[in-house]
Amino acid sequence: MAFDELFDVIVIGGGHAGCEAASAAARLGAETALVTLNLDLIGQMSCNPAIGGIAKGHLVREIDALGGIMGRVIDRTGIQFRLLNRSRGPAVQSPRAQADRALYRSEMRTTLENTPNLHLRQGMVVDLVVRNDKIRGVAMQDGRRIGASAVVIAAGTFLNGLVHTGRTTYTAGRVGEPASIELAEALKRLGFPVGRLKTGTPPRLDGRTIDWAAFEKQSADERPVAFSFSTDEILQEQISCYIGYTTSNLHQAIRRNLHESPLYSGKIKGVGPRYCPSIEDKVVKFVDKDRHQLFLEPEGHNTNEVYLNGFSTSLPAALQQDLVRMIPGLDEVKIIRPGYAIEYDYVDPRELGPDLQCRRIYGLFHAGQVNGTTGYEEAACQGLVAGINAGLQVQGRESFRLRREQSYIGVLVDDLIRQGVDEPYRIFTSRAEYRLALRHDNADERLRGYGREIGLVGDSDWERFNQRRDRITKVKAALQSRRVRRSEAAYAAISATVSGDLGDSISLSELAQRQGITPEVIRQLLPSEVVSLSQPDDIQFALADNLYAGYIKAQEAVIQRIYHHDATPIPKDINFGCFDGLSHEMVERLERVRPSTFGEARNIPGMTPAALSTLLVGVSSPS
Amino acid sequence: MDTIVAVATPPGRSAIGMIRISGPQAVRILGSLVRDEEFHPEPNRIVLKDILLTGSDETLDSSLVSYFKAPHSFTGEEMIEISCHGSPVILRQLLDQIQKLGARLAGPGEFTLRACRNGKLNLSQAEAIRDLINARTSAAAQQATRQLKGELSTALQKCKEELIQAIVKLESALEFVEDDLPQVQINETVGQLSRVVVRIKEMAGTFATGHLLREGVRVALVGRPNVGKSSVFNRLVRFDRAIVTELPGTTRDSLVELISLQGIPVSLTDTAGMREAGDRIEAIGIERTQQAMADADLVVVVVDGSSALLPEDEVVLDQARRSKHLVAVNKTDLPLSTRIDNQLGAESSVVHLSALTGEGLDDLSAAILKSFASVDSATVGLMITDSRHYDLLRRAESSLEGSLLLLKQNASEELVLVGLHNALKFIGEITGETTTEDILGQIFSTFCIGK
Repeated sequence: MAFDELFDVIVIGGGHAGCEAASAAARLGAETALVTLNLDLIGQMSCNPAIGGIAKGHLVREIDALGGIMGRVIDRTGIQFRLLNRSRGPAVQSPRAQADRALYRSEMRTTLENTPNLHLRQGMVVDLVVRNDKIRGVAMQDGRRIGASAVVIAAGTFLNGLVHTGRTTYTAGRVGEPASIELAEALKRLGFPVGRLKTGTPPRLDGRTIDWAAFEKQSADERPVAFSFSTDEILQEQISCYIGYTTSNLHQAIRRNLHESPLYSGKIKGVGPRYCPSIEDKVVKFVDKDRHQLFLEPEGHNTNEVYLNGFSTSLPAALQQDLVRMIPGLDEVKIIRPGYAIEYDYVDPRELGPDLQCRRIYGLFHAGQVNGTTGYEEAACQGLVAGINAGLQVQGRESFRLRREQSYIGVLVDDLIRQGVDEPYRIFTSRAEYRLALRHDNADERLRGYGREIGLVGDSDWERFNQRRDRITKVKAALQSRRVRRSEAAYAAISATVSGDLGDSISLSELAQRQGITPEVIRQLLPSEVVSLSQPDDIQFALADNLYAGYIKAQEAVIQRIYHHDATPIPKDINFGCFDGLSHEMVERLERVRPSTFGEARNIPGMTPAALSTLLVGVSSPS
Repeated sequence: MDTIVAVATPPGRSAIGMIRISGPQAVRILGSLVRDEEFHPEPNRIVLKDILLTGSDETLDSSLVSYFKAPHSFTGEEMIEISCHGSPVILRQLLDQIQKLGARLAGPGEFTLRACRNGKLNLSQAEAIRDLINARTSAAAQQATRQLKGELSTALQKCKEELIQAIVKLESALEFVEDDLPQVQINETVGQLSRVVVRIKEMAGTFATGHLLREGVRVALVGRPNVGKSSVFNRLVRFDRAIVTELPGTTRDSLVELISLQGIPVSLTDTAGMREAGDRIEAIGIERTQQAMADADLVVVVVDGSSALLPEDEVVLDQARRSKHLVAVNKTDLPLSTRIDNQLGAESSVVHLSALTGEGLDDLSAAILKSFASVDSATVGLMITDSRHYDLLRRAESSLEGSLLLLKQNASEELVLVGLHNALKFIGEITGETTTEDILGQIFSTFCIGK
């Protein structure tokens, strides 16, 4: 077998999954090639120019804690930072940032180009070279053959991509870029179960033709919260986004033209995400709603292009122009790029292990949309997991996996490989059973150690992390030890603001849990030497730990219970049908495998956490 | 799936004995039994067939054979029922023959479990079948029937739906903060959850009686010798079960009979009279009395109303006062002792009766029932009879109470939701679970999400 070039790891695709995968593998010391169709579009944001959001922001901070790159790149290129859910508890707050699309791309490419052992190659992969169920390399369209002992497929929407606008359809990976037809066929030939999904994107507008005054301004946060634990300061000048609404006249016009929509004429067969519906879907499925919210998101400092968030559509391009003009404030608007829908192939992720390696072919990893997910952050974290494991595997090191109770990444991977997908999968906080413990600001505490062990966290980041941890430990100790006594002047003032008796003295940790006590009150009560040595974030962190301490203790008991019972035997002749509260589907899965221990049952793909705890109760009780 | 077989009628000699076969091989086995491999019975029809002995042309029995086609059978599988003559010998031979033809002897309750697995019954219905078979009184059977009809699941379904609605609202507010969703109305959600709590409380509240219906209660009749315990016992069991003489200490051993008091199963124990034992046998009998008292849910102290309380009565009463008890003053057919009412002044529950005439017996039955619950079991609706169900409801209730408190204090949604998800899980352990996917599905069909 003659190869033109040899690497340890090949990553197919230069999107958000591919970038993380290539960067991680290379930094672990593996000679890594990133093969992409167009080097100028590395790190392209195909849809909205934003990173983060509820739960997605958590993913980015986890990626950063493990030593990934997405957080650093967005921190350098974000032009509107906002921490979402500020009014709610710290566990469900999450950072989001609008990116300068072009800057993000170039920053990502620079980051990759400056990574030792990482080699960029332009070209299209048309086939996988597999011998004896082991990956050996890839074949390129131009005839080159590249060898490697691990390959990560991160091809996004390019696999058998089919673009729809109105009744027009053509094969493409994104508008203006060729689809990967041969690679998709190769996967089918190798026996992978392949399905079809759909996603869409809204039109981009010329900012000079927008009446900005007709929209409600949404400013960036005064004090931006960064994604990366290594970022000191956000330096990009911050811009505003704008909020507007559709009208019922517009809804009627869309309904009148549904026959032009490939979604409603039956042309699109793939399943789209329910949480990111097209404007056609919105006006059909929610007839009673007389307006839908839209966001105007500028795409960067040096462009007039504006992203019309909330108006994803696959109606004919000419019609899009007419419809958009019915939005108050967009009467004169010109569309720069029309919206479109795209259908693409995905491979059933139940083919994968927790390291995102295919069970079918040793050395082949899948990450991102090929696994049926949607979103840059979802893609990036899979890229990181796949890249880390590809890098570890070629070096003969043990594989790396995260558990559900440790991270959103663990939740996402576990959901994918156990449950599979039937629509594009997006992360939500409600997918994490233990979400109170999974805060965006404690991602480092949860995962930095793993990043360090794997080899992705450098000395200075590690030192920084340890310092932060020490500072937080001191604040937490002070919350326990500092008691406000009746004799103090502050006592009377506090008594007046909270209900209930404070007793002779009360610790700050108890006081912080009372209604009406703000973090600022606590900060003022902390010993001044503790305050002066800590940063504002440290105190917030300690207070968040304090707030959830009781809940997390209860959760830990549940988690302990689950792992502690892995050795619990399941009787040979047990009848799973007789368990209370086990659904028919869960019983079937158990019957198929007939696990002999609880640990085996836990590893059956598709078992839900609730079903497992029911099973545990059943096999532990004497009856 | 293999094919199972069992005798469906109780063991022993009877006019008819029935054998059930369930599984894919059922029809083939029947064909072999009637020596006609081409035999294709018509579903839901009864036909008369000769069953032949293996290896001979001799007829084992002429039997009525019915066929229930999958999935329209009790288990949801192919099912055959053979009603033959109820001789244990015939039944055993037939059973052997069927096993040789490839069926396996069914484990206890396996037919029901197969029905359950094939979606013909849900868990609480299957539990109900178990209760129905084991029911000892008509009221208990009635409760099991209600549960079998799925009334428990149906009643809980409403709670579950309201709870899911509240979860959907709160989760959406958390997850889709940038979407234009309606504000969560705290008062509305508090109202909704309070209704769920009330309903769960009501259901859990029926357990005291429901549990009695299923498990029954243990009542021990105790007293010094010769106060008429055995006469009272015979009256309650309605036949001369215990030997009654005028000789003190006639009852040497404890006697147990199962009776039904207004539909509640009662296991009634007559005990040896308590006094200084005369011999070893009596001593053992008295020891058993102590045991019966300790085991009983209710102790009925029988005293002789025609005489004042003796020190021996006081000893018994002292002991009975350690547990739930009532006093039955017997022999109202004789003149009442002038001192006894005074002596029993401290007792809260005293019934006068005459075992001889039957007067006051209904009062005694009523007093026994009243000491457990004052509900007329036959007239109330669905009751919780299973302690597991009861426990889950109580846990759901306390989780919900916690969330309600947080909600009223304006706590952040993620905290309120902890208790709500727990409650949903507990209810789900009775009715079947609700997954995150189910909840997300509800969110997307309720609200237009899509920034």
